[in-house]
Parts: sequence; structure tokens; C-alpha cells
Amino acid sequence: MKTISVENINKSFGDTHAVRDVSFEVEKGRIFGLLGPNGAGKTTTIRMINYITLPDTGSIRINGISVGQKTQKMIGYMPEERGLYKKMKVGEQLMYLAQLKGLSSEDAREKIRYWLKRFNAYDWHSKVVGELSKGMSQKIQFIATIVHDPEIYIFDEPFSGLDPINSELLKEIIIELKESGKTILFSTHRMEQVEQMCDDICLFNNGKVVLTGNLREIKKNFGKNTVLLEFQGDSKFLDELSEVRINNRSTNFAEIRILDGQDPQEILRKAMQASEIHKFQLVEPSLNEIFISTVGEDNIKKQQEEALKA
Amino acid sequence: MSWRQTFLVLKREYITRVKSKGFIWATILVPVGFALLIGVGIFIAVWDSEITYSLGVSDETGQIVSTLQDFDSERYVDYSDLPVDSLRAMVLRDEINGYIIITEENITEDRPLELIYSGSGGMQFLTAVRSDFREAIRQERLVRAEVGEDVRSIFESSVAVESRRLSREGEEREDDTEFFSMVGFFMGIIIFGAIFGYGGYIMRGVIEEKTNRIIEVIASSVRPIELLTGKMAGVGAIAITQFAIWILALTGLTAISGPIAAAFMGDATPPQMPDEMAATEADINTLLNIPTIETSLIVYFIVFFLLGYLLYSSLFAAVGSAADSETDTQQLMLPITAPIMIAYIILFHAMRSPDSTISVVGSLIPFFAPIVMVTRIAITEVPFWQIGLSISLMLLTFVGTMWLSARIYKVGILSYGKTASFKDLFKWIRQ
Repeated sequence: MKTISVENINKSFGDTHAVRDVSFEVEKGRIFGLLGPNGAGKTTTIRMINYITLPDTGSIRINGISVGQKTQKMIGYMPEERGLYKKMKVGEQLMYLAQLKGLSSEDAREKIRYWLKRFNAYDWHSKVVGELSKGMSQKIQFIATIVHDPEIYIFDEPFSGLDPINSELLKEIIIELKESGKTILFSTHRMEQVEQMCDDICLFNNGKVVLTGNLREIKKNFGKNTVLLEFQGDSKFLDELSEVRINNRSTNFAEIRILDGQDPQEILRKAMQASEIHKFQLVEPSLNEIFISTVGEDNIKKQQEEALKA
Repeated sequence: MSWRQTFLVLKREYITRVKSKGFIWATILVPVGFALLIGVGIFIAVWDSEITYSLGVSDETGQIVSTLQDFDSERYVDYSDLPVDSLRAMVLRDEINGYIIITEENITEDRPLELIYSGSGGMQFLTAVRSDFREAIRQERLVRAEVGEDVRSIFESSVAVESRRLSREGEEREDDTEFFSMVGFFMGIIIFGAIFGYGGYIMRGVIEEKTNRIIEVIASSVRPIELLTGKMAGVGAIAITQFAIWILALTGLTAISGPIAAAFMGDATPPQMPDEMAATEADINTLLNIPTIETSLIVYFIVFFLLGYLLYSSLFAAVGSAADSETDTQQLMLPITAPIMIAYIILFHAMRSPDSTISVVGSLIPFFAPIVMVTRIAITEVPFWQIGLSISLMLLTFVGTMWLSARIYKVGILSYGKTASFKDLFKWIRQ
């Protein structure tokens, strides 16, 4: 039995078909990344898993139970649009949110105390949220998400808007939760940010799943055909390479994906003729590169142009 | 629907609001404001200085003008010796407000008088002039007819009509229609204000949750319908608390105001025997002569207030959910404000004639009933079937508005970024 199983769900808003026939499964104790550009349907899918909106067709099960009020209590959810009641005190607010998730007031009190202490935030217990700094209220938001000790954690674009300290803190929390056997699903459009964290991924584009599976296996299947090149000197040679895609290009760095199976040594030779090479490494493609090659460069360009027009 | 979740929402709504400074201030300031409003109204009615307009009277009989001057020596000036042209010139120069020429025919025949004036003075002035001239000419006619003193006193007599109500039990009671008209009017106004006030509370609460972005966290724990009902019940509980405080304070004040007034009166006179004190107190109560407001009226007031609140509050919540900020609510508010304003207009009519067709129909239409029916109940004997019908219709309509609002609310709370149009709302309802 999978922890989360999404089967053939569809959701439309008026004429926009936001989610099309999406299916994927999340296994217990894994970190699952829902990746894709903005507007790909990630948030809509997450809302359906959280039973905030309902799919038009298809089914979602959590531990074998159809989503509903019962499954809501099994999930800790931190939405992309985050917020708290500004005029409420930290303690009261956490108590309210924990009770809504089904905790008794005694349990909630104990857990709130534990987490506030853990985050060195116990002094804020009686402070009104509006008085807290942004970083402080982000910490309170984390606590609100995890206070009821659920099995499943869902973070929608968790790192957007976080300061670096809280970003690190959240990463630590996620790793720690995984180690204690919890299941984590998060979404992001910044793929490079989460590559190291995910066990499994699901790539979204235009409301459809384009690729899903174990991240290591996916990468292995793509093969070691990406060159990381650090150099000093003229970078014009990069433009002269054929049948490659250059990502992440800067004055002294380039990530080169080889498209036609040509010998990487050939590229190194050309580079050495033009400039001084500090580093040459053959690696598996980045998630971003995998996304681009799966969806197709042309499609992405088309999408970007449409986005610009809109 | 889980009642535990609804109750948690209710509790939060109630506790955070009841502890807020806003609630405490509103509880104190609303009655003060209301008293001030009434005070200002009375002040305007009593202290408004009347501007005296002078009216030139050219009287060829010589009789009427002196009678008029007996009525109001400042208003009527005798210009019988001046020609018409001069009077016209004086009006144009603003020396007099207007003039009237009285000829013999105005007394002997029923020829109408003509008032030529600059146009200022308004209704009040015209009415006064009309009744003064009517009276003066009638008196002159009586004099000329050489009727006796007794006939003339017949004309001057005015017999009072006192009213007493015959209750269904066959007892005659003091009739306090004037008093209860005021009570009914104020009850209607209070419900009118309360619907706007508490409805606005809910609307702002919904918008706050949207702009704070907490709504999505809440929505991952609570069904929208639970959230909506909890909010409505929480603010409803706030309303009941506030009204309870006001009613208690009011009864407390009236209870102690008698003895206090008596004590003041007692101080003015030398020390007295205790039984005389008691007598003074009784005198004051009869002097103030406040009829007792029946408990049933207060119960009806509360019932209609709550029904009106329920009917409208869900709609306010729907508007809040569809708006992106408070400033954007204006046009969405129109379908709510329009019926309340119509009810407000019917209220004035119902106060004067509570049994007219418009008043009866108005008190049965659910969106007007909370304001109009209470006023009618206070003033007149409303048949029970009308009250029953009105309440049942309101309950039915409440089910409808709640259904409608829940559908809008469900979608609205999760759509950020822009205020929905009516077209969007229809789409949401049909989804």
C-alpha cells in the first residue's frame, strides 16, 4: 500500500484544464519532489491531495483511504501562500491550528512547548504574530505545519521567500523527518535547489506528468553525457560546438549536454585550443537538463513566448 | 460536517473578538453615539431658530391685516397705503419676502388670494401663511355675519380625542401608540445598523484571512462550510453578547434613574418623612410616564434580529470571499445593500401606517422582514399568522442564501489576486 496514490486525476477551471490525467505514487519514508515550471499544475494537485479542492475525475488515496476529513489530519501542509493571523498570539494561534488537526488541548500544549523550545522561540509564546520579524514568523509557520506530528508532510514551494537561515533550517527538518520514517512531498520550480534532497520525482508540464520515478535511476538512464567545464579565456569556442546544449553558461563556466553521442574528449580538445582549462568533469545531467530534454526545447520556448505574450 | 471543527472556529472567532479593543470600544461607543444622534435630532427640532420672513399686506378692507398682526406682528406688515408697484419693487430689493393684496371680494366671495413672493421660505412658510389667512378671513366673515359670542366660541373650540386600546381580553388600556411608534422605529433602525455592522465584521474577517494567506492552512484542516458556519456563529455570539450588555445596562439605568431623580427632588425640599419620600418617587414615575415594554416585544426583537443576521451574514461572507481587498467590495455589496435600503425606506412608512398594504407585504418579504416586522409588532396588533409566515419565509430564504453563499465562499477563499465579477460568481455557483 502506497502512502499517497494519485490515480488519473483531472481538474478544470472554466476553460483551463489545469491537471490532466495525472497519476503518481509516493512511498513511505521517502522524499518526493513534484517538479515543473510555474503554472504546470503542481499547486492544484497538492490542493487536491490535501482535500482542499476536489478532482473532477480520478481518485486520491492516502494509506489506502480516499481523501477526506480523516486524511487531512494525517497531513501537515505548508502552502506556497503562507500566513498567520496577525493579531493572534503565537501560542493561541498554534493551539488553534493544532486543535483543528485533531489534537486535544493537553497534547497540543505539550507539543507546542517542545517545538517552540526546539526553535529557541519559547519567549515568543505570548507575542502577537504581527510583532514578529519575517524570519520569526516563518519559524512559527514551520511549527504550525508539523506540530500535530503527522505521517505525511507536504510543502508547496517551501524555499520561496525563506531567508537563508530558515532555508537551511527547513532542509534540516525535512531530512530529520525522513530519518524518523515520515513521508515528505514537496513541489518546486527551482529544480537545482532540491536535486540533492529528493528520492523520487515527478515532472509536471502543462498539467501533465511527463516523467516520474526514482531520481537516481532516471539520471542513470540519461547516462554520463554532460560535461562541466571551468576555464579561463575566450569562450567563443562554445558557440562553435555542434549537437550540444549549453546550460548554466557564465564567463568561466559551462554545463554542456552532449546530444549525439560524440566523444567528450573532442570537446575538451577544442576547449584547450581556445582557453586554459581548470576543470573538466563528466557527470549525469542535472534535473533541469532532464526536464528540458524530456519536454523538448522547442516546447519550452513556445511556452515561454506564450507566457511573455500573456 | 464536523461540529468539533465548527465549534473550534466559533470559539476562535468569539474569543479573539471579545478580547479585542475594538469590541470594548464599540460596546461603549455605539450607545453613546446612538444617544448623541437622538440628542442632535431633538436639538435641531427644538432649537432651530425660525427666520422671520416679512410679508407685505395691502388690505383694502382694513380689517384682515390687524387680525394677521395679532397672529404674528413680525411677519405681517401693513402696506395698505402703498401701490402695487412699490410692493413689487420692495420684493425685488429683498426688503420684504412677498406680498398679498386683499380685496373686498376675498371676503364676500370665495376668490383665492394671491401670494407674490421671492420663492424663499419653503414649505413651512407657505403653510403658515395659508393657515393664517384662512383663519383671519374666517374671523372677519363671522364678524360681518354678526353671529353671537356663543357661535364664535363654537368655531374656536377644539375637542380632544383621547385614545384607549381595547385588548383581546376585553380590557381597556392606556394607548401609547406615539411612544411605541418611536420604540418600533428605533428597533427597526437598530436591526438595520446591526445587520450592516455585524455583516461587515464577517466580511472583513473573511477578507483578512484571505489577505493574511492563512486561509489555505485553515482549508487544509477545515471544510469551507464548517469555517463559514463557525464564523457566522462566532460573530452571532458576539452580537448576542453585545446586545445582552446593552439591554442589561439599559434596564439597570432605568431601574436606578427613578430613585436618583427622586433623590434630587428630595434634596430640594427640607428633610421629609420616609413615606413622603416614597410618595415623591411614585409621583416622578407617573410624571415621566414611561409605558412598560413587554417582554414579548423584546423576544420578537431578538428573534427578528437573529433571523436578519443569519439571512444577510452569509451573503456578507460570500462578498468577502470574492473580494481581494476591502476597497474592492463596493460593487459586490450592491445586491446586499439594495434590499436593506429598501427595507429602511419601508420602515419609515410602516412607522406612520403599520397596517397599510406596503407595510404588511414588506414585513412578509424575507429581506425586508427583520427591519419592518419588528416595527409593526411594536406599534400595532400584528395577526399571528403574519408573524409565523414571515419567520417561516425567512428561515426558508436563509437556507437558500446559505447554500448560495457556501458555493461562492468555497471557491472564493482560494482565489487570490483579483476581485471576482458577478459573472465569475455565477460560474462558481454553477460549478
